[in-house]
Amino acid sequence: MRTDDLIAQLSSGLEPVKTGAVTRLLLIAVAAGLAASALVMLTVLGLRHHFAEAITGFGIWMKFAYTFALIAFGFGLVERAGRPGADMLRPALLLVLPFAAIVLLAALQMAAPGADMHQLVMGRSTSLCAVAIPLVAAPSLVAAFWALRQLAPTRLGLAGAGAGMFAGAMGAFVYAFHCPEDSAPFVAVWYTLWISLTSVIGAFAGRWALRW
Amino acid sequence: MIAQEAQYRDWMLASLAGDAAAYRMLLQGLTRHLRSYYARRLDNGAAEDAVQETLIAIHARRATYDPALPFTAWVYGIARYKLIDEYRRTKRRATVPLDEAGDLFGHDEATDAIARRDVRKLLDKLPEAKRRLVEDIKLRGVSVADAAARTGLSESAVKVTVHRAIKALGEDLERDPNADR
Repeated sequence: MRTDDLIAQLSSGLEPVKTGAVTRLLLIAVAAGLAASALVMLTVLGLRHHFAEAITGFGIWMKFAYTFALIAFGFGLVERAGRPGADMLRPALLLVLPFAAIVLLAALQMAAPGADMHQLVMGRSTSLCAVAIPLVAAPSLVAAFWALRQLAPTRLGLAGAGAGMFAGAMGAFVYAFHCPEDSAPFVAVWYTLWISLTSVIGAFAGRWALRW
Repeated sequence: MIAQEAQYRDWMLASLAGDAAAYRMLLQGLTRHLRSYYARRLDNGAAEDAVQETLIAIHARRATYDPALPFTAWVYGIARYKLIDEYRRTKRRATVPLDEAGDLFGHDEATDAIARRDVRKLLDKLPEAKRRLVEDIKLRGVSVADAAARTGLSESAVKVTVHRAIKALGEDLERDPNADR
């Protein structure tokens, strides 16, 4: 086809683009990812014991707040990753804020009189947590990739890392409904670590799975 | 490039609102830059295919343009991605040098034509036999051995002739850089 004909074809019957189309697409991905991750969590792991009692405690809300903040900042990161020519550095640096907050809280808990350092950091469930966050995050990663592929990521490794971090945060948020560990040091170390691992998986997978 | 940014951005914003006439002008304008960009990096047929692929990508992904960001950087991001994609498909080269949006918008078909005309004029100053040698080796990529076989000269004689011709042209330019402008 001649290029002039292509231009004529593309410009005839041009549809206006709705403002906020990118945001809407990503919100659909968040809803679908969280729902699918919740399904995996409920069928494979189940809610934590005495959930009705735990939901009134500080620990579970601390986990919700940390992971929700990471989801919110991850959203901004993925939104930038899907736009050619957009800067990803600044939204990536913003991730330091929730991490600094959880580290501060962890330090306070460890400095409290009579604190059992080992129990605070290691908890009782590290071995399970290790497998579970990336597992629960997997459907969210698929949803994030699905959305990114409809945008225009131009640096696929970086975009994949952002999507992996975003999905890892969604997985960790859902995992918090199951996780019996309520100490800040545990969350600061293990949640962060397994979210980071999901990000690394996303970086490698993105190099081919995000091609468009 | 700043004037281009303003013009193209206006057309893009109108296009996003559904203005087909602005969109056509935008795509026609971008095509001139894209042709020049890919012609400097790909073979003839592949270059025009890449232009069309990029136009289709611009069309399909136009919702990803954020009006708060420079339009030229957005187009350049897509053009560069499509170039890398083409290199990957043909397994020619794994990396693309980190150049800038100016590399896309600093050139178009018209400036390329002027550059070609300047080279032409310069070469026309050489005697016929020398000019053909320079054209073959420097512009068409003919090997020294083939050029030697065609002319009946030895390979080293070919190299020396081409080297001297280029040097003479360079001295000529230095003496009077604006002679033919």
